[in-house]
Amino acid sequence: MLIQIGEALQDNSLIVTLNSVGWMAATLEIVHYFGMFVLVGSIAIVDLRVMGLAGQQYSATKIAQRLFPWMWAGLALNFLSGFLMFAGIAASYIPDSTFRMKMSVILAAVVFGIIVQWKVPAWDKSAGMPMWAKLIAAVSLLLWVGAILAGNEVPALSGLG
Amino acid sequence: MDSSVVTFGNWLQNRSFALAVATSDWAYPFVQATHFTGLSLWVGTTVATDLSLLGMGNQYQSPLQLFNVLFVWNWIGFCIAVLGGFLLFSASAATYLINPAFLTKLGILIPLGLMLHILIQQKIRVWGQQPQTPRVARIAGLVELLFWISVVTAAVSIPYFG
Repeated sequence: MLIQIGEALQDNSLIVTLNSVGWMAATLEIVHYFGMFVLVGSIAIVDLRVMGLAGQQYSATKIAQRLFPWMWAGLALNFLSGFLMFAGIAASYIPDSTFRMKMSVILAAVVFGIIVQWKVPAWDKSAGMPMWAKLIAAVSLLLWVGAILAGNEVPALSGLG
Repeated sequence: MDSSVVTFGNWLQNRSFALAVATSDWAYPFVQATHFTGLSLWVGTTVATDLSLLGMGNQYQSPLQLFNVLFVWNWIGFCIAVLGGFLLFSASAATYLINPAFLTKLGILIPLGLMLHILIQQKIRVWGQQPQTPRVARIAGLVELLFWISVVTAAVSIPYFG
């Protein structure tokens, strides 16, 4: 079933064009990397602030309010370009265990990102960040580094992409 | 000149650390991840500063206050990116040294981008005090944003020339 959807995706003429014309394929990669840098850079600073390692003289809520829009914008760019590249060889990616691992790590990282965004105003009210807030922020940061590593493992281990 | 550059590249890629990166099954993705994690910090914090200079998101903090939060991690990201990048480069130095996209990236775009970046970091102490930034600051922010997009473009183009 999933494989059939994958085959339909990768036979779509727009998807084929986007992935086979040199400058279009390169543009997808550029958007994917640039979106990832903005996404991970923004959430990393909020995580580091919660962990007590950045901008301690400023309110964590203000830093989060300012950076989370860029995190979501980066995620949108990263996801859209990533989906279009995935679609180009979807039937091969779908059953691949490394690709599935990458998607799982990203899903977990997004969930932790949402928790941090949701909880920062409450954490900010207590004197000094609660210990478990720092722990959640550290896990969020590690998951994003893990997502980057998993992304590099897909071509390294599966030969896809 | 060409031959001495290639000689240097061959010498570098035969160092034991470079061979380890190039030939180990597991090391290469880790080194790539180091490069990209550093770049996320460097580009992410740089883009946030540039967007702030463009006047975006300044209802929460002035550009200078944001910059004070980001500054240290901006340069930590740069150092991590350079470390990972150097290891990736040394794994196949002789090939990179004759690649036009790599040479454009490292020889032209990054030096110019760094000069602009440092200039902005000097000037933001004046430009960034108020939420409303002067026109010159907005132009500088936009130009730097486009500059780092062009660096990513050159980097992505490297395999297309290889």
